[in-house]
Order: sequence, then structure tokens, then C-alpha cells
Amino acid sequence: MLDHILSLLIFFPALAAVFGFMIQKESMRAYGVSVAAIEFALALWLWYVFDGSVSGMQFMESLPLVPSFGINYTLGVDGISVFIIILSAFFTLLGIGSLTDTKQVKYMIITLLFLQMTMVGVFAALDAIVFYIFWELSLVPMLYIIGAWGGPLRIYASIKFFLYTFAGSLVMLVGMLFMAYFYYQATGVWSFALLDWYRLILPETFQLWLFAAFFLGFAIKVPMFPFHTWLPYAHGQAPTIGSVILAAILLKMGTYAFVRFSLPLFPDAAAFFMIPIAIIAIIMVIYTAMVAYAQKDIKQVVAYSSISHMGIIILGTFALNVEGITGSIFLMLGHGVVAGALFLLVGVIYDRRHTKLMSEFGGLAHVMPRYATIFGIMMMASVGMPLTINFVGEFLSLLGFYQQSHILTLLAGTGIIVGAIYMLAAYKKAFFGEVTNEKNKNLPDINKRELFGLIPLVIVAIWLGVYPKPVLEPINNSVKSIVQLMHNKSTTALAKERIPNLVKPKVVIIEKTIIEEVH
Amino acid sequence: MEIGLNHYLVLSTILFAIGLVGVMRRKNLLLLFFATEILLNAVNVAFAAISHYYGDLTGQMFAFFVIAIAASEVAVGLGLLIVWYKRHGSIDLDALTTMKG
Amino acid sequence: MEKYLYIALFAPLVGSLFSALFAATPKKLFTGIVGSLLIFTSFVASTMLLLYILKTGEPIHVTMMTWMETGDLYIPFGFVVDQISVTMMMVVTLVSTVVHVYAIGYMDHDKSFNRFFAWLSAFVFSMMILVMSDNYAGLFIGWEGVGLCSWGLIGFWYHKESATWAANEAFIMNRIADLGMLIGIFLVYWNTGTLQYDEAFAVMPGLDTATLTWMGIFLFIGAMGKSAQFPLHTWLADAMEGPTPVSALIHAATMVTAGVYLVVRSNELYSLIPNVGLFIASLGAFVAIFAASMALVNRDMKRIIAYSTLSQLGYMFAAAGLGAYWVALFHLMAHAFFKALLFLGAGNVMHAMHDELDPFKMGGLKKVMKWTWIMMTIASLALAGIFPFAGFFSKDTILEAAFAEHHFVIYGVLLFTAGLTAFYSFRLVALIFHGEERYKIFGIHPHEAYRFMLIAMSPLLILAMIAGIFKEPFFSMVEEILGAAEYHIHSHATALIMLVGTQIFVALAILYAYKKYANKKVMVPDGTSAIENSFIYKLLFNQYYIPYFYEEYIVKPYREISELFWTKVDMKIVDATVDGIAGIVYGTGEKTRQMQSGNLSTMLKWMVAGLVGLLSLAVVFGLAARYSDEILVFLSALGV
Repeated sequence: MLDHILSLLIFFPALAAVFGFMIQKESMRAYGVSVAAIEFALALWLWYVFDGSVSGMQFMESLPLVPSFGINYTLGVDGISVFIIILSAFFTLLGIGSLTDTKQVKYMIITLLFLQMTMVGVFAALDAIVFYIFWELSLVPMLYIIGAWGGPLRIYASIKFFLYTFAGSLVMLVGMLFMAYFYYQATGVWSFALLDWYRLILPETFQLWLFAAFFLGFAIKVPMFPFHTWLPYAHGQAPTIGSVILAAILLKMGTYAFVRFSLPLFPDAAAFFMIPIAIIAIIMVIYTAMVAYAQKDIKQVVAYSSISHMGIIILGTFALNVEGITGSIFLMLGHGVVAGALFLLVGVIYDRRHTKLMSEFGGLAHVMPRYATIFGIMMMASVGMPLTINFVGEFLSLLGFYQQSHILTLLAGTGIIVGAIYMLAAYKKAFFGEVTNEKNKNLPDINKRELFGLIPLVIVAIWLGVYPKPVLEPINNSVKSIVQLMHNKSTTALAKERIPNLVKPKVVIIEKTIIEEVH
Repeated sequence: MEIGLNHYLVLSTILFAIGLVGVMRRKNLLLLFFATEILLNAVNVAFAAISHYYGDLTGQMFAFFVIAIAASEVAVGLGLLIVWYKRHGSIDLDALTTMKG
Repeated sequence: MEKYLYIALFAPLVGSLFSALFAATPKKLFTGIVGSLLIFTSFVASTMLLLYILKTGEPIHVTMMTWMETGDLYIPFGFVVDQISVTMMMVVTLVSTVVHVYAIGYMDHDKSFNRFFAWLSAFVFSMMILVMSDNYAGLFIGWEGVGLCSWGLIGFWYHKESATWAANEAFIMNRIADLGMLIGIFLVYWNTGTLQYDEAFAVMPGLDTATLTWMGIFLFIGAMGKSAQFPLHTWLADAMEGPTPVSALIHAATMVTAGVYLVVRSNELYSLIPNVGLFIASLGAFVAIFAASMALVNRDMKRIIAYSTLSQLGYMFAAAGLGAYWVALFHLMAHAFFKALLFLGAGNVMHAMHDELDPFKMGGLKKVMKWTWIMMTIASLALAGIFPFAGFFSKDTILEAAFAEHHFVIYGVLLFTAGLTAFYSFRLVALIFHGEERYKIFGIHPHEAYRFMLIAMSPLLILAMIAGIFKEPFFSMVEEILGAAEYHIHSHATALIMLVGTQIFVALAILYAYKKYANKKVMVPDGTSAIENSFIYKLLFNQYYIPYFYEEYIVKPYREISELFWTKVDMKIVDATVDGIAGIVYGTGEKTRQMQSGNLSTMLKWMVAGLVGLLSLAVVFGLAARYSDEILVFLSALGV
């Protein structure tokens, strides 16, 4: 069973979803929670049997699909992907567990289980075509969630979400086909296996073009400025659960793919495009934080804040050193937890008042103290308070990038200021002051079902902030091997300079002292 | 003057052009069928002529195929036409737009 | 000894979590008592550590566990108790204990009593992390932690708009400085390869001056925010919106001195870059006189004390910048005692006067509040630096240091500021406690504070009086670690003249303040008197128009640009472009679908058109393929 644990993780929820059609409406919620719980238990088991000290792929399984073109159903996890898989199982469980009473709960749960399949598939796939299939499949349940359970503009939002990301990923597909063709030309064998591709060293010009093709697909998914406008609509219209999964897991596909594809496949191009991408990342950080500050709808504040944080993740990824990439992957998890929790929290108040406009609230801390406390904790985590999960990621990402550029890091660092501005302003508007709106006077505080979703997130947010080691260490090991691979593969002088060589001991400091002594 | 391949081809082209104009201009479904027949037969002429020219019977065989298909087409087509006429009382093309996109 | 270290560190955390359990419930007295007891435990443990350090002189260094480890970066939760941190620990736990006990009385009638203690103890915990950490990252944890607690406590009465505004202002302004601090930390890491103090300082002498200068500057920017130095000073006065015990603990005694602690802690770095040190000293001297001038005319009791805190922080930075780190630390300690006492006394007055803050509306309170009067007078004497109170020893040493280092401008500024300090302190005392009982027309019946609150304040009273005797022991304790030098002015006569001269100058300022404000003619200002309409008065009263400037030229434009970005750039440009591209596709479809009219005749026409098009293409390409050579020749002849 251990050999096929990844397949099990992928197809168990899908199978359960198919059976879900036969379950009666009343018992669907219990069914969904138990399936998600089993899935989460499997994911935890995966963590338990996962060897964190190994840098390579584990639990690999392979099944030929189209042998003549080298397309195989290849799965495997390393330190980078294993935690995102666990996080996705975690959020599916929390999401189904804290699902509010909507129409057609049965189909919502079935959709979520299908979504879970695609999410694990994306993060476990080691074959470009399999990856692409899951990548595109993940759009369908999300389209359905937004389109069927969304707000008044749901059709517009869901179509925009679908077409925008789909258009991007088609370009990515073309890139993949070219990559496979180059591989064929170089070796005489067709292969879509990522691990085979890792060994291929491409000339710089090819790298640049392929990098650009992949970039478009990933950047839209992340979403990076200026491809981000689908996100506020999607979040604005999606039901709470949709926003939670979207922010917590789906956005991470883009950044994960950068680490999995763009960096190790095209190290020279990554080094070449580092500065322009960092500038985009900085625009994301500052610009969207300012846009978030101008929002009137609290959900939009969280939506734009997601983009802002994704900017820091991108920056860390393109630091191209171990500290930065590790930090960015950790921040993916951190932002998943925090943004997911914030969307759940917004959902709590939306269920009570059916509005998300901050002007409708004010003084909620009086009537809902527990809610205000949890919101406050998550807000502080979002702002990057040390000893919360986000700080570790942000600190490492910025620290990593500082090696590459001082000025750009300083600019990106203003994220901690502007981030505090919009978050505190939003919190003040919603929670502080007197209760002015009559409708808010008797709002019930947070209930058990909502606590079921939120308390674990609070615990994780603080636990991994205080003691990130169990997660950071496996990530670090895998990232080290990727950075070393990139350094070895890189051909240009620029890339050699920007991507550190981990094998050689650092002697820079010692050299300096010697020079001083000679003088 | 001997009648050679070119004459047949010219004839075929003229017939084809007449048929094409008919196809484009006619609004009556029945006349459209006539025009289609002209088109098909224009091609038949060309087939037969080229077949003769090369001494290869394939072209003439193909002409027979075309005649057969044209016949069945007319049979089915006229059947549909009659049904349509019974239903709508008109075989005017402009009234026949249920496939509008 | 490690046991005491952990007790000292974690007792406040336990207290905070315990109180937090009851945060949303009505007042429970035991949260206050348990919280105070745990802080007291921490104080006792710190005392044990102090005794140990005094006895052995050996720092205690523990590493609790790994925090972050990736690449070459290794950050543990490590704690060090040495001469510097133990001093800070003593100050923090002592003042915290007093303030906790005091707050049981002060917050008596507040419905969020439990929440208050949760925040207050959490603050102490963060402060302990800040001073005990053995690396910059740990310091940053405490740094942000105290910022968070300060936010929660300034905005404690969150129903008040002004309080929450001030809380956010404090947090955001601190964040600006924290960015500088963060960059400083990055610089330290990438240049020394570590964030541990001892290892980093060991490498620093080998680095080039430019790098060290940047390091020093960025770390100092962090200190500027927390210690409210110009131009990031406005938050401190606004932070007085918080409950008064908070002002005493956080915004006078401990958190705001964290910046000074940072500079003292990094003394090995700052010793290498005297230019930055001089800048720090100059800024300190400037802030000293700048803040003191604003305190001269202010009409809000707590703000006056806040400005005086700001001014004293300037003194500390002046000392630290000039390399007199031990003097800075000593003044920090002495200042913590008398300033906390002053604030708590002000808290008593506020309680008695039903939260009235304008001293002009008080007067003659010494009859009803004898003990508060005595305490505040002694605290003010200590603040003014009158012999033999605490301030005399610490402040006079700063002046001596400035003089001995031949920075006469700084010396002059600081000396003049000493006079201003004496004046505004006793202006406050005179207005509150002496003169006509002006409060009567407002129908207030003041009363003395609870007995136990006064008793709680007594340790501070005693220390404000006698802290001077610790000067010699303190010096010998920190001598080794801070490379301290005693400052002696070469000629004894000069020294004596300076000493006596300063005392006389200060005493005259006090007398003038009494003369002007303790008489019966003092009225509640109504904005008509000549002095109130003078330019200087307006300038000072409006804090040099700096808050106005910030509001008008930073906050407002930021809000407007944000709005612009959203409504114009994001919606009208970025999103509209995307929608435009989608619109082109839709529009093309919309146009071309008319071809699909369903009319057989039209479709046949299109079919013919397509046929003709394809045939002509076939002909063109056929010809092109056939005559490709000729075409190439033709094209090359054209020069293509």
C-alpha cells in the first residue's frame, strides 16, 4: 500500500465522490467529513513515513500511458510538495467540516472531493502531461463552485477565472511540447518525465523562450501583476469555501510550478529574468497592498492581500538561493493557512449579515469578542508578526533576496508596512468603535462548527511560527538539491554568479580578513 | 475543327459557372436542386473527357458514381422537400433559417 | 541558574495566557492577582540572576531550541543573561510588578479587566525576550511583540476612535522603523554569516567601514521607531490614549527604551563607526530639546510627561552615541524609576479628576492628595536632576561625558534642555497641586487613590530617591562588557563649577515655574491671552505642525493614491485591458456569427467565396513554388 500511497491519495476522494452521488442528502455531510478525514489521515500517514532527510523523490510510482511518446503516469513527492499535499487534505477536511448550510450541499461536497483529487494530482505529478491534466482539471470544480454557488456576478467571475487561467496554461502546454521535442532531439527518445528533463541542458535562447511560455501559464495562476484581475472577481463572487480553497491551495500551484519547472529546467533564464520578475513582485507587493487599502469590502481586502503576499513568495523563489526558495515554499504553506483562515472568518460574518461591506460593521469586538480575537490573531499572522507562520516565510524570502539586490529587497520590505496599514485599517473599521448599526447589536458569537474550522488553523499558524523545524528541514533538504542542480546546469556566467554553489565552502569572509591583515 | 479536350473542359467550366450562379442566386429550393444537378454534371463532363484523354477508365467510373449519388440525393432531397412543403407551405430559402447561429 | 532564567522569561507568559483564558468574561480579581504574582516571580528570578552575575561576572548563555535553520542560516531560541540584559531585566520586572499591582486598583471598574492583564503580561514577556535574546532575530521577535502589545494596549478602549487611531499609528510607525531594522539584520547576516551577537561582533572588525556604517544606520532606524526619535516621534504622544499604567510601563519605562538597549547591545558595532555614533548623539540632543520645547506649553498632563520621556530618550541616545554606553544604560534605569512614578502619580490624579487631563483645570490638589503630591514632586525633582535624587547622578554624567568628549554643542543643548525639563516638570506640579482649586467649578470631588496603589508605588519612590547610590556598583559591573570609562573633567575646579552651575540653573528654572504657575492668578486659558496667540506658542502647541504635515502630505495622499490605484489603474486600465482582449474575441464572434444566418443561399455564397479563396491561394502558392528561384533573385535584387 505504501508503494501506491500517492495514487491512493489522488483517487480515493475521486472514487468517494462518485459514490457520493448515491448517498442520501441528509447523510452527505457526515459522509463528506469522514471521507475528508480519511484522506487527511492518509496525508498525515504520508508525512509520517516520509523521510525528511532525503532530498530526492519518494514514493515514486510509474505506469506507462503512451509509451511511444514517453508519457507515463509518474508520481512522487519530495520535501517541497509533500506539505502542500497535506495542506490541501487539511483544508478539504476543514472546508467540508465547517461548510455552512447552502443549497445543494450534496453536490458541493462531491465537487470539493473532486477538487481534492486534482489538487493532490498537481502536486504529486512528475510527468508534464499528467501535471498538465490535473492542472486543467482543477479548473472545472472551481468553475462549478463559483458558477453554481457564487454571488450575483458569478457567471462573469467564473468564466473570467476559467478562460483567463486556461488561456495561460495553453501557452504552457505549447512550452511543454517544445520541451519534449527538444528532449527528443537531444536524446532520440520521447519523454515527458520531469526527472528526465532535469538532466537536459538547453542553450540559453531556447531557455528564454520556454521560460516565457511556462511563465505565462504560471504567472496567471499565481496571479502576478498585471494578470491578477481575475482573482478579486473570483474571490468576490465565490462562496466562502471556494475562496478558502482557492487562496489556500489553488494559487500555490503557480508558485509551486515555478519551483518545480521554471527554476530547475531553465536556470539561466531564471537568472536572466530575475530582476524583471523581482520588479513585478515588488509591484505586486506595494501596488496591491495599496489597492487593498482602498477596498470597501472586507473580502476584497483579503483577496488583494493574497496577491500582495504572493509577491513576496515570488521574490523568495527568484532569490535563487536556499534561504529564499525555502522561505518562499514555507510562505506558501503559511499564506495558505492564514489566507484560508481569513476567508473562513469573513465567511462567518457574511453568514450572519449577508454583507461584506466594512461600513456595515464597526464595534464587532463588543458583540463577538471570540470572533474578534481569532480574527486578530490571523490578522497579525498575515501582517507577519514573529512567532506566527507567515513571519518565518517572509523573513527567509526577504533574507534570501537580499543577497541578490539590496534596493529591491528594501522596496519589497515595505510590504510589512503597507501590509500593516490595510490590515489594521480594515480591522479598525470592522471591529473597533461603537456598535452603530442596529443589526449588529445582537449578532451571535462564533459557533462550534466555525470553531472546528478555525481553531486548528490558529494552532497551526502559531505552532509552525514557533517551531517550523519539522516542516522547514525537509523543504530545506529538497531545495538544496534543486539549487545545486541549477548551479551545475547553468551555463551563463550570470547564472553561475547568481545561483550559489553549495558544494564549495564559503571562504569570502576569511579572504577579506586576510587582506586586512596584510595591509 | 476537331473537338478536343479543351472544348470539353470549357464546356464543363461554363456549365459549372452556370450551376454556381444558380446555387448562389436561386431562392427556390427546387431550382437549387436543378443548379446542383448542373454542377454535378459539369464535373461529370470533365471526368468523362479527361478519362477519354488519358485512356483511363477510372474517370468514367467515377462519373457513374456521381450519377448514382446525384440520383439518390435527388430522391432523398425531394422527399425532404415535400415534407417541408407540407409543413410550412413554402419552399422559399429565406424562410428556411432554423440553423441560424 | 538556567532554571531562574526560564522562570524569569516564562512566568509572564503563563500569566498572560492565564488571564487570556478569561479575556471575554466579566472582571475576575484573581486574574490581576495571579498576573502580578507571576510577574513578581519573574522579578525574584531576575534578582537571583543579578546576584549570580554580580558574584561571578560570568554571563549565562542557554540555547533552548532551534527556531529556523535553512541553508547557512541558523537561528536558535537562545538567551543570554549578561550585565546588560540583567540590568534591563531588573528594570522591566520591577516596574512591571509595580504597574501590575497598581493596575489592579486603576482598572478596578473596567469591564475588560482580565483582557488588560492578558495584554500587560504578554507585553512583559515580549520585553523579556527582547532583552534576553542572544541574537538579532530573537531581538526582533521581542521587538515586534512589544509593538503588538503596545497596539493592543493603546487601543485598549477600542470603542474610542482616538484610541484605535493612535494604536494603529503607533503600530504602523513602528513598522516603518522595523523595516530598517530588518534590513540591518539582513546586512548583519550576509556580511557576518550569523545573527548571534557574539559571533557577529567577532567578525565585524574585519569588515569594511561602509558596510558597517550601513549596518549601524539601518539598525538605528529600527531603534528610532521604537524609541520615538525624530521624525518617527509623533506616535508616542498619541499613545497616551492608552490606560495610564500602560503609559507608565510601556511608553515611559521599558518599550521606548528598547532602542537605547539596541544601541547599547550593539556597542561593539557602534564603537567601530564613530561617525554614526556622532549622528546618533546629535539626533539625541536635538530630540531632547525639541521634545522639551513642546512640553513647555502643552495642556495635556500625560502628553507633557510623554514629551519629557521623549526628551530623556534623547539624552540616552546622546550618551550612547558618544560611546558612553554605560551612562546611557544607567540613565535608562534611573529614568524608568522616576518616570514610571510620575506616570502612576498622574494616573492617581486622573482617577481623582474623572479622567480630566488639563492641568489648568486642577490646582490645589495637594490638600486632598498628599501622597500623590509628594511622589510626583520627588519624581519631578529626580527628573530635573536635583541632588541627591536619581536623575542627578545619571543626567549629570551624561553632561560630563559630552563635555569630556569635547562635544560642546551637544553639551550646551543638553544643559539648556535640563533647565527646560525642570521648568515644564514643575509647571505641571504647580498647576496640579498648588494654587487655586480651579476644579471646583467643574463639580469634581477628588480623592486620594487606594492605599495599596500608593504602597505599590513606594518602591519606585524609594528608587527615585536613592538610585544614585547604585552608580558605582553599576559601573563596576558593566565596566568589563561595555568597555566603560569614567568621565572626569580634568580640572576639579571646572568640574565643580559645572556641577554647581547646573544645579543652580535647574533650581532657578524650578523657582520660576513655581512663581509663574503656583499663584492664585492662574486661570483656565481661553485662547485670548497675548501669549497664546504668539507664533512660538502656536508652533509649539501644534507640535511644530508635524502631525498636521504627516496627515496632510503623507496619510491623505496615500489614501488618495490607493483609491486612484483601485478605481483607475486596476479597474480602468489593467482589468479593462483584459476585458478588452476578451471583448475583441467576443466582438469578432458576434460579428462573424451573422454569417451563420441559417439561410442556405447565404451560406452557399460563403461557401463559394471560400472555395474561390482557397483555389486562388493554391494557385499563388503553386506558382510561387514553381518560380521560387526567380522570386529569390528578384527579391535580392530589391535588396530584401
